[in-house]
Amino acid sequence: MSGSLRCLRAVLRPLPGWAVRPLCQAAPGSGPPAGGEGEGSREAVERLVRAHPVVVFMKGNPAQPQCGFSNAVVQILRLHGVSDYRAHDVLQDPNLRQGVKNYSNWPTIPQVYLNGEFVGGCDILLQMHQNGDLVEELKKLGIRSALLDEEKNQDKK
Amino acid sequence: SSCRALASQTEGEAQVMRVLQEKFPQACAIKVVDISGGCGAMYEIHIESKEFKEKRTVQQHQMVNQALKEEIKAMHGLRIFTSVPKH
Repeated sequence: MSGSLRCLRAVLRPLPGWAVRPLCQAAPGSGPPAGGEGEGSREAVERLVRAHPVVVFMKGNPAQPQCGFSNAVVQILRLHGVSDYRAHDVLQDPNLRQGVKNYSNWPTIPQVYLNGEFVGGCDILLQMHQNGDLVEELKKLGIRSALLDEEKNQDKK
Repeated sequence: SSCRALASQTEGEAQVMRVLQEKFPQACAIKVVDISGGCGAMYEIHIESKEFKEKRTVQQHQMVNQALKEEIKAMHGLRIFTSVPKH
């Protein structure tokens, strides 16, 4: 497991110009109010989080994350071998960006939903990865973490 | 960086600290660090309190989010690390 932790420290290292990078703006209260119409309504977000066992709202997309914290979520999922999940790029849709924050009452992006339930952001997912909780939560969804197989292989050596 | 250890607290750090001390009176340890180089754009918060007992991590973080509702509006992001005292 220590190998994967080393990987994670690398991805969590801030991108150049981190502090002033406008793309990483995660403050709530900005953007049009969501409710009743369009991509940001409670109903719309609810539909998205229920559409798949693993749903992520992030900046950018898994192939090209636009934020270090969103990237960390993508990398953690990759380490566990979770390749089938829904990722929504909030930078493409300001209504969705605010709607997601309203829905979960959580001020920042990324946001991870497992089985329609808000689990947390990057810090919580990282914690769950480090303490084994993520393997357990994935198991409940019928997803076998790749790390279980990695450990098995290590035992064999 | 090592310079930051000698530098005094920023106004932003002090304000966040004040709010947390007020909203978490039973906290035994609170640490607030501006990790945006003093710009007030991003903070890292560590808080240990028995007020977090028996709450899931996401609920603990929600309590901190709620406490800092106003301050968060001016931030680009924040990192929260909560814990329960061991005794």
